[in-house]
Amino acid sequence: MDDLPVKTEHVTVGGAWLLVLSSVFLCNLLKILLPSCSSVISRLLQKDAEQEFQMRSEIQNMKQELSTISMMDEFARYARLERKINKMTDKLKTHVKTRTAQLAKIKWVINIVFYILQAALMISLIWKYYSEPVTVLPDKWLAPLERLVAFPTGVAGGVGITCWLVVCNKVVAIMLHPFS
Amino acid sequence: MEPEPLDGGSPSHNATDTASSSSAAGLTASQRRAEIRRRKLLMNSEERINRIMGFHRPKGGDDESHSESKLQLESDKPSPLPAPVSKRVVLGDTVCSLAGTADHAGSIGEYKGERKDTFNKPPEAGSDGTGELRQRSRGDLLEAPQRAPRHGLDQYLSRFDEAMKLRNQLMSEKPSQENGNAVEEFDSFRIFRLVGCALLAIGVRAFVCKYLSIFAPFLTLQLAYMGLSKYFPKSEKKTKTTVLTAALLLSGIPAEVISRSMDTYSKMGDVFTDLCVYFFTFIFCHELLLFFGSEVP
Repeated sequence: MDDLPVKTEHVTVGGAWLLVLSSVFLCNLLKILLPSCSSVISRLLQKDAEQEFQMRSEIQNMKQELSTISMMDEFARYARLERKINKMTDKLKTHVKTRTAQLAKIKWVINIVFYILQAALMISLIWKYYSEPVTVLPDKWLAPLERLVAFPTGVAGGVGITCWLVVCNKVVAIMLHPFS
Repeated sequence: MEPEPLDGGSPSHNATDTASSSSAAGLTASQRRAEIRRRKLLMNSEERINRIMGFHRPKGGDDESHSESKLQLESDKPSPLPAPVSKRVVLGDTVCSLAGTADHAGSIGEYKGERKDTFNKPPEAGSDGTGELRQRSRGDLLEAPQRAPRHGLDQYLSRFDEAMKLRNQLMSEKPSQENGNAVEEFDSFRIFRLVGCALLAIGVRAFVCKYLSIFAPFLTLQLAYMGLSKYFPKSEKKTKTTVLTAALLLSGIPAEVISRSMDTYSKMGDVFTDLCVYFFTFIFCHELLLFFGSEVP
């Protein structure tokens, strides 16, 4: 007699526990992959890398040329080339500096966006399962902590979203620890 | 600046004063001028620090404090190099031994050296770490109120000193912590605990939960772990020196108390992790059983 309402309730919330678990798992996985993801995205967004590579190779060529010129015999040419190399190197330096600053900015933005999305997801999950439990067990099984476990739903024997989120976060963090 | 001893002026202190004043009498005019200049410089630095720390002295008591600082400067003079002070800060399993100003390394050492010039400690001052600090704070209450700011400053500085030591310790520990982090997280006992919790959850879901609350077997398991922990090799768990520990140390709580509470805190964290794994495995098994329809609660 006692188990019947539990079964009906369970049918209504079926799969919620898995949804929360998979969301937490995805979030944690993305957090681990975030540095590589952000570097890939920044590489896609920054198309100056090619130009930079060109400049580098140009400098390399000029340096090679400079090594072939005798400073004593062709001083004017040597000095001109050296000035050119210096100018190009300065230009490259400024370019690299700008690119690095841009890269840091992109990474920062990606991080912020990720955390905002994660927070939004968690808030929406809490919002959705605020009054209904993610799964239901017979309340005697969870005694004497049934109220704590069921918070904030208040359903006897239910597992509340807060408790389940905490548990999932902890377990997923343990599972993903070797990869982080 | 040298802090006064507890009783306001020990015989040794007086003896140093008289000795220094007699030596001052034997100085030539140029040496005296140099000495006055040195005192002036020292006093200026002291005033600057007081201003930074927010200790304002009343104008009326200026002369008294001035003469007092003079006296202290006199007592500073005979020992330009302070005697090595040995301090031991016990935090967790790590013991940080610091020997006065002589063997301090790095930037902190430099900082300390600078500070020690103006705020010299008596050799007996650092013999007992934080316990001594407490004694001194009690002594402050007994002393005249006009000395309180000075003692407060000294106390604060000695605590600050300890916080700097902690920072130093943290700096030296950091690379080793980073290397041994994974080992620390997943030592044999930890893996054993987690696997045990998961297995117990499966067992409880299969046989026990119909008759008993699921938390009862878990508590029994935790008791068993407490007993079993003796038989596992203790991993060298270094206490993480956090901002919290530094703040607690600065507020005058002995390092040993902090380390004990940190130990308890970490044990509670372990139990919580076990509970999470246990509960997760239980729910997971329960849902799997429900899915395959073999059992209905």
